[in-house]
Amino acid sequence: MASPQASENRSPRMDPTQAPLAFGTWALPKLLFELRDAELRVRQRALATLCDLVHDHERAYEAIHGGCMEKLKVLLQDEDSFVRIKTTEVLYVLASHSTGREALLRYDIVSPLANLLEDPEISCRKNMHQTLKRIAEFPLGAVFMVNKGLVPRLVQKVSDEEDDTRAVILSTLSYCLNVNALPALESDLIPVLRDQLSHPCSATRQAAVSAFMGISIPEEGKMKICEEGLLPIFVKLLSDEDQGVVANAAGTIMNTAVITTGKFKALEAGAIDPLLELVLSDNTAVCANALRALTVLAEVPSARAQLLEHLALLKTRLTHPATIIQRAASTAIEVISWKP
Amino acid sequence: MATELQAQHQTQSGVYTFSSRPRAVPSRPKYRPAPLPNEEQSSYGNIMYDRRVVRGNTYAQHILPSSPQPDPAEFLRQQEARRRAVVRKRLKVQFRSKTPDPLEGRMNTEVQTGAKEMYKPKQRCACSRPMTEALVSLSEMYLEELSDRVEDVSVECQTDLFLDKPATPLFIPAKSGQDAATQIEEGELFDFDMEVQPMLQVLVGKTIEQALLEVMEEEELANLRAQQQAFKEIRDAELVEVQRLEERERRLRVEKEKRIMQQKAVLEKEKETADKIAARVFAQQYLSDLLPSVYSNLKDCGYFYDPVQRGEYLETGFLPWLMEEVCSALEKRCVARTLLDTLIQDVTNQRYEDFQTMKE
Repeated sequence: MASPQASENRSPRMDPTQAPLAFGTWALPKLLFELRDAELRVRQRALATLCDLVHDHERAYEAIHGGCMEKLKVLLQDEDSFVRIKTTEVLYVLASHSTGREALLRYDIVSPLANLLEDPEISCRKNMHQTLKRIAEFPLGAVFMVNKGLVPRLVQKVSDEEDDTRAVILSTLSYCLNVNALPALESDLIPVLRDQLSHPCSATRQAAVSAFMGISIPEEGKMKICEEGLLPIFVKLLSDEDQGVVANAAGTIMNTAVITTGKFKALEAGAIDPLLELVLSDNTAVCANALRALTVLAEVPSARAQLLEHLALLKTRLTHPATIIQRAASTAIEVISWKP
Repeated sequence: MATELQAQHQTQSGVYTFSSRPRAVPSRPKYRPAPLPNEEQSSYGNIMYDRRVVRGNTYAQHILPSSPQPDPAEFLRQQEARRRAVVRKRLKVQFRSKTPDPLEGRMNTEVQTGAKEMYKPKQRCACSRPMTEALVSLSEMYLEELSDRVEDVSVECQTDLFLDKPATPLFIPAKSGQDAATQIEEGELFDFDMEVQPMLQVLVGKTIEQALLEVMEEEELANLRAQQQAFKEIRDAELVEVQRLEERERRLRVEKEKRIMQQKAVLEKEKETADKIAARVFAQQYLSDLLPSVYSNLKDCGYFYDPVQRGEYLETGFLPWLMEEVCSALEKRCVARTLLDTLIQDVTNQRYEDFQTMKE
């Protein structure tokens, strides 16, 4: 029952798991100082508070300039698993700000972070993979990661993890592959990815197919895809439910069919009919990729003959509001009606 | 009685056993000392003064049943008696007027009131209205009854059964001083709706602020990704176009080169053929003049002659004979010369030998 007097046992700390924040400008320096403390509990609490603070841009900037990066690097190798989990979470949140991303690259946090690939604690690894994905999402980061040679290690880890982490790793890989696909090809990526294509979880499949799209850009990738006979699988994926998967599958076919072997293999696998259906789809990516794939395939005379019948269908796409689709449709029509 | 009956039964059968042997009853002192097991009861007391012996009427006394199992007839009789007593009691209770239960700390007692003449209103009478004892006793103090019965008062004293001590009543001290009351009416302390506003504002504001921050963060990231996606699509499109065009160029180039090679080969062949034709024509032309000149030369050299004119016989007959004759003539001459040579040689040899022999 409430009494008018204030209770004598006042709780000085509202949340026992978080360190109390000092007032004003002394908050962050004190917190950063506590990160180096010898006692485990102090470090854990300081990390928890830091994690909540860093969501704010200005605080993140302050923290980085106060030199939290070095301390976090040290804490990444701490023995206590909670400390490591929280540190990876802080890095994850930092990676969402641009100053944070820049700092992550400048202080080279990527290497100790990558050492956590073999960490026994699962939430630590999950946070770490998500941080890596965020870093890979912007181009400088992806270049950095490829230069550090992280790609082969990530490839090995794909099959080890569970579903949602697997999707994260695969998206990281696809971003890196968009930059440079060659080291991944050397590290025997294709069989691993092929298994992921038939995974029940749609996020994993989407990430796997986008990785394939990245692979199929350089020419060796295209050759390898043709050799391994993956094109029938992609044609099958064209009728998948998830639109992302469909778009990326059409994109991979489009890339692979640029070389002649690819064209013939795609035609053998019967890619034209599903692609024609996809042209009518609402999703921009799907439609555009399908149109471009048809363009590429139309260089083969037999396919051109087949596609001449469907010219009317393609002409309807010329009036689509998105410019990419209009351009793609016009190129397609041009190529199909080309006479030598 | 029951034991006697039982004993009689047994005497009829013949063998007589005591259920308890008669023995002299030792006197029991008033205060029993601690029982000593092995001591013999030496003193025998007088049964006349023994308290344990039954005195007085025996036909109206309670008898303990001798056996633990009561006689069934006896038992039934007892039950009947009990039942009748209960019914009687109930009837009595119904018709009796009861005084109300005593208050706490008071007890109801029976009071016999004296009243006019024969009429003795006691509690047991069937009057319906209960009478308060106190009032009645007050009024009856001055009344005296006239009857042949001597009024006697029997006084009994008996300690009451120990009732449980009733709970002590709560000690409520007598009120002293003035009563004062105070009550906070609604709306006197503070106006809840007004006071709660700033707190609510802070709470709701903080929550929404936090939520906004989180949503903004997510939105920012989603925007970045959407931008990236759009860029990626354009990039893909461009890339594929570039690659396709490159590929096309390459193919066309290769095709072109092949055609060019083919064409070159064709040209080469054509040229060769033209050369050959030219050469042939030239040769023909050249040689066409040759034939008449050859003929004329031959004619000039006399290769074309009329055999009849030349004389066949001459050619085939005469000249070979002539040649033979000449040859034979020559041979003869030759033979002659050779013969001469040999002659000369013989002679010289002869002469040499002769000279030789002459020298010696």
